[in-house]
Amino acid sequence: MSNAKQSSVNRLKSNDAGRHLISDYWDRIFTANERNAQVVWYNGAALNPIFQAAGLEWAHGEAFAARLSAQRLEKSAQLAAQEFGYVGELCSYARTHLGAALLAKQAREKFDKGIVDNADRDDLAARLPMPNFIVNCYAGCSTGQQWDDFTHRLLGKDIPIFNVSLPFLWGNRADAGYLKGKEWEEASDYVADQLYKLIDFIEVQTGRPFDWEALREGMTHIKQAAEIRREAMAMCANMPAPATFWDWIASVAHINFLPAGPELVDYFSKIHEEVAQRIASGESAIKDEKYRLYFDGIMNWNKLGTLAKLFAERKVAVVAGRYTHKPFWQEPQLIDTDDPIRGMAQHYLLCPTNHGFQTIKDFTKNDCEFYGLDGIVFHSTRTCRAFTGPQQMLARAMKKEMGIPSIFFEGDVADESFYKGELLESRLEAMLEAIDVRRSRNFIASN
Amino acid sequence: MSKSSVEAFQVMKNVAQHPDDYLTQWKNRHQQPVIGIFPMNFPVEIIAATGALPVIIQDSREPISEGNTILAEFYCGFTRSIADQTMKGQLDIFDAFMNADHCIQLLGAVDVVREMLSDKPVYFEHLIAAMDDSWTKDQVQTKIHAFIAEAERVTGTTISDEALTRCIESNNKNRQLLRQVFEARRNGDAQFSPGELQTMIVSSMIMDKDEHTALLETVLAEASTKPRDNRVRLHLSGHFCHAPRVELFDLLEECGAVIVDDDLYTGSRYISTDVKESLAPRAALADWYFARNENIPCPTRVQKTVNWDEYLINALENSGAEGVIVLMAKFCEAHMFYYPELRKALEANNIPHLLIETEHEGMPEETFRTRVEAMIERIRRKSSSRTTAKELAQ
Repeated sequence: MSNAKQSSVNRLKSNDAGRHLISDYWDRIFTANERNAQVVWYNGAALNPIFQAAGLEWAHGEAFAARLSAQRLEKSAQLAAQEFGYVGELCSYARTHLGAALLAKQAREKFDKGIVDNADRDDLAARLPMPNFIVNCYAGCSTGQQWDDFTHRLLGKDIPIFNVSLPFLWGNRADAGYLKGKEWEEASDYVADQLYKLIDFIEVQTGRPFDWEALREGMTHIKQAAEIRREAMAMCANMPAPATFWDWIASVAHINFLPAGPELVDYFSKIHEEVAQRIASGESAIKDEKYRLYFDGIMNWNKLGTLAKLFAERKVAVVAGRYTHKPFWQEPQLIDTDDPIRGMAQHYLLCPTNHGFQTIKDFTKNDCEFYGLDGIVFHSTRTCRAFTGPQQMLARAMKKEMGIPSIFFEGDVADESFYKGELLESRLEAMLEAIDVRRSRNFIASN
Repeated sequence: MSKSSVEAFQVMKNVAQHPDDYLTQWKNRHQQPVIGIFPMNFPVEIIAATGALPVIIQDSREPISEGNTILAEFYCGFTRSIADQTMKGQLDIFDAFMNADHCIQLLGAVDVVREMLSDKPVYFEHLIAAMDDSWTKDQVQTKIHAFIAEAERVTGTTISDEALTRCIESNNKNRQLLRQVFEARRNGDAQFSPGELQTMIVSSMIMDKDEHTALLETVLAEASTKPRDNRVRLHLSGHFCHAPRVELFDLLEECGAVIVDDDLYTGSRYISTDVKESLAPRAALADWYFARNENIPCPTRVQKTVNWDEYLINALENSGAEGVIVLMAKFCEAHMFYYPELRKALEANNIPHLLIETEHEGMPEETFRTRVEAMIERIRRKSSSRTTAKELAQ
């Protein structure tokens, strides 16, 4: 009989079973140059179905920085960026990726000169294949476009680069709102037009006609996967929650940039099945769920396990979050699989940092109501000004309009030096006590 | 300087230091709205053509308190100051707000203004930042028309081409006069201190342009050239959206430097580009947006053919500046991205430079002084004929 303490975290088994999809993808990326495959580096929106249909290999800068950070392998890239002159307050995704670009460039130059350097080869941060071209499609953040501009400059200014400009959905007009109004329709058309031009650009880069049928097929799989994922997420309104925010975090890579195909649909189908089975059997994602919270903030990739455990040990199910629930093909009904470009453009505009405060407030309120949440945890993400912008106003509004309390903790996407764990723990415990008091008062009042 | 010249300059100084007094008086006199404009690319001629007063919102010297409760502390000082002024009711004097720039920190602050001053129009159109694309010009033109339509809606005044042309001429004249002053400084005239130049620029950002031009003409009519001494010549680079503290300029001069040129927003950048009077006015305003980035490259834009480092090296050749002080407002991400490229170009050209990060609260003067003195000493060693700070004091 084992003496090991049973973990409070009951992760979805189907997520673990799908991890090989991620490692297979990255293995293919790291060997792309050796296979003479054409490589595109891109940032921001999920353009990967377009790249896949064009027969390209695609490396997403944020995803690579997140992977390095989750594996605690980000330091060499960050040091390279620091030595180049980037200060520590710069977006840590960008800093890590730019550092990785410097290391990869250096490793490639050594390779081209016939210098085999084991240290370079072994350093994951140095293993990105050199790109044939770069595509930027960054919503809601003024950092993204500069980041790729500087990747382009770092790599010598001779690699072609294409910018897709995504207008910020500010909501000037009275009819403006989430998925509605003239602003939304005009922005959708504008971005769709740029995507057609991107495809023209890709045809020039690849020297072959774009495979529209492959795009339709890919988007059919993505639409199916997204619908299944959304249904499974919605089932977490069940109490106790059959899966948590951390389970959805574990499947972000799959929905965001892995190849679109039947295996993607199969992966999310298994998640859906497991979630349904848990509900049927009364199995919960954490032991003895007592509190249900929302997570607002971009992911702290270097603290995934720490955070999942920290909340679970306090009987907190973090059920939903802006990062997991508001991007990543979250409105699959918008995708016309016969003619997918406009629906894709619309999803690129729907990045949860691309809206004015009113829209963010509306969908946060909706999520809190739908999932029956008790409070909000704000990850005050130090180098992400896009996600943190509306957080203080959101906290005020949610308290005032819904009576939902919140706490803030500091951390970062890919730089763990900003993480303040002790503050999070003490603030979380204080908030849970306040929730207890509120429940007691409500109970007394109702009797 | 005559009494009238001194008085004219004092008016500019008062406006720069206490914009609200001027705005209150202007509203009383004109009975027209005052529209707050956020830096750095909004074409103010559009607002002026309605008869309203466009005012570029300034950083407040007041310590940020309430602003820190509504925006994260790692937002730049300017954006937190906007939030602070909003929360304290200090922006109530404005009747509406307009913004053309997509800096995400600025948008965060503007969203605070929209939420907290919910009875006032707060309008944003996203002037596309990728300048090279084939569709950018059409898109920018569309946004210019949208700004015009909104200005008409907010003020209830139809904007005619004639009014736009008149305001373009008025703004051009003001910019040209200011550029004369900056050009004279570049060519060796030291009659105006860096702080005085900043006063001229900031007051221009706030005042009715014709009024400001009249004051400038009065000041310049009596100005006489003052040859600069042979202190170390420096170029100030960076610092977008808001003005650096004048105390910093004083410190540089105390250390034995003389500022000969800059690319600050509250400096050469603001006045770098006229709107072409040869073009139809609405097209000219769109053209101005592109021309600005080519005249003084801005790190908030991306344009393959435009390089700030090349611009800077050329500017140094034109002014004879021997070193560069890079002024970076803390947390300004666009500037953080660009700085390593500037640094490499300066090093490749053996040009001494120093990065100074500025914050809204406090300025560690003595820390800066030590670093500036070391840099100036380095430059001075290259040329033994320099006047030292000590000699100047004697």
